[in-house]
Amino acid sequence: MKPKVIIATENLSHRFSSGRLGIDRITLSVGEGEFVVIAGPNGSGKTTFIRHLNGLLKPTAGRVLLDGVEVARDVMRARQMVGMVFQDPDSQIVGETVYDDVAFGPENLSLDRNEIHNRVDASLQAVGLSHLADQRPHLLSGGEKRRLAIAGVLAMQPRVIIFDEPFSSLDYPGVRQVLQQIVRLHQSGHTILVTTHDLEKVIAHAGRLILLADGSIVRDGLPGDIIREAELFGVRAPCASRLGLEVSSWLN
Amino acid sequence: MAELTSFSYRVGSSILSGLDARFKLLFLVLISLASTKAGLRAMLLASGAMLWMLSDVRLSLAAVLRELRYFLLLLVVIFAARALSTPGGVIFTTKLMTVTREGLFDGVLVCWRLLLIVLLGLVLTATTRPAEIRAAVEWILKPVPVVSAKRIGTMMGLIMRFIPVILNQAGETAEAQRARGIENRKNPAYRLIKLGIPLIRRTFENADRLITAMESRCYSESRTGPTLTAARKDWAALCVVIVLSLLMMFT
Repeated sequence: MKPKVIIATENLSHRFSSGRLGIDRITLSVGEGEFVVIAGPNGSGKTTFIRHLNGLLKPTAGRVLLDGVEVARDVMRARQMVGMVFQDPDSQIVGETVYDDVAFGPENLSLDRNEIHNRVDASLQAVGLSHLADQRPHLLSGGEKRRLAIAGVLAMQPRVIIFDEPFSSLDYPGVRQVLQQIVRLHQSGHTILVTTHDLEKVIAHAGRLILLADGSIVRDGLPGDIIREAELFGVRAPCASRLGLEVSSWLN
Repeated sequence: MAELTSFSYRVGSSILSGLDARFKLLFLVLISLASTKAGLRAMLLASGAMLWMLSDVRLSLAAVLRELRYFLLLLVVIFAARALSTPGGVIFTTKLMTVTREGLFDGVLVCWRLLLIVLLGLVLTATTRPAEIRAAVEWILKPVPVVSAKRIGTMMGLIMRFIPVILNQAGETAEAQRARGIENRKNPAYRLIKLGIPLIRRTFENADRLITAMESRCYSESRTGPTLTAARKDWAALCVVIVLSLLMMFT
């Protein structure tokens, strides 16, 4: 049985005020529980595209539907439903302590204090940061900051989580920590979208690969079927697939 | 630089940690006001209370003074200004300056008062979660018309969060410029401009990203605020502070 469509875009286009076209007539649908990697070189439109999915950017043309409801009709619902983990955690973390940061989202939803406390506890536990609840965020390691950003999104109980370049500037242990977290979230039923120009680290876990170039979808399919073509569009294929081998997980 | 500072909350089970943040802010105001009228004996009394507070919070006085070294330098300047500008019984005089007995006494007292107020601020921040300080300020500003207490609370929180980040960035930019030989340029204005412009640009770019991230997490001004509850111990502490302030003013 095909999964229920949770994200659908129809002829989605965005032109910046400078006149440059960010994305051009993107039409796609993502089923609930899918793990999708969106890859493309810098400037291909990955970030512009995902920012339409929770209403951070408004389309110049076309529309986005979340579980059948247009994003523009209820932006708050969209932001609660689609959590976004940004590339630079330092600009995403707003709390003076780890606990306060995770509580920021639920507080914005005007939940009562007990519910906020329960959500923060559960989210910190999910990312393994409970012991750092009173720590100041700027003293965390790179991997811990990413996990804190994930906890902040989890506390809003989204159904979809989007990661924008989640592995940039992380060392090997940091990449593994974040990847493990992403895989766990997928296993717990979340729909996952990851944008990257570095397929190596994540593609072994994805069920679908979308390649973007110049703001348009140029390939969309099973990773095994299209990964060899990635280099035609400015994305380096993983070492293993270049050698004709199966790509293995960074968690092994 | 990110390791700043004693001026940050530390988890603890001290008496002060358990008090309501609104009361602690009130204590800070009361003792600061009382110290403006305090003489030598009153300052000894207040300093005794301060030493008790520092030991209750388990802050070492030596570590605190080390942290306040730049502030102590400022106190030295204030002391010198007072010692040289207050008229009175001359201790020694040269062509350029005259040091008076009253000036020395006045200088010591003023510096002592300022140090006491700064240490009070330090004890407040070390024993109170930033979110509680924010909530207390919001509570105090709530009845003030026109002012959006929630917005000011959010701004306070962001300042506390981002000062270490901006200091880190300033450190990184300065290091990168030292690596390219900026120390060979002796003009301080040139060096300040070369440091300031990229730092300001980066800070504004980060602010843009921060706004996007806050919007993405449904930022709204009708958000749930922290709960503050006044207990019997807060009222008891208030009585003690009122007595202490009166003693400071009238001894």
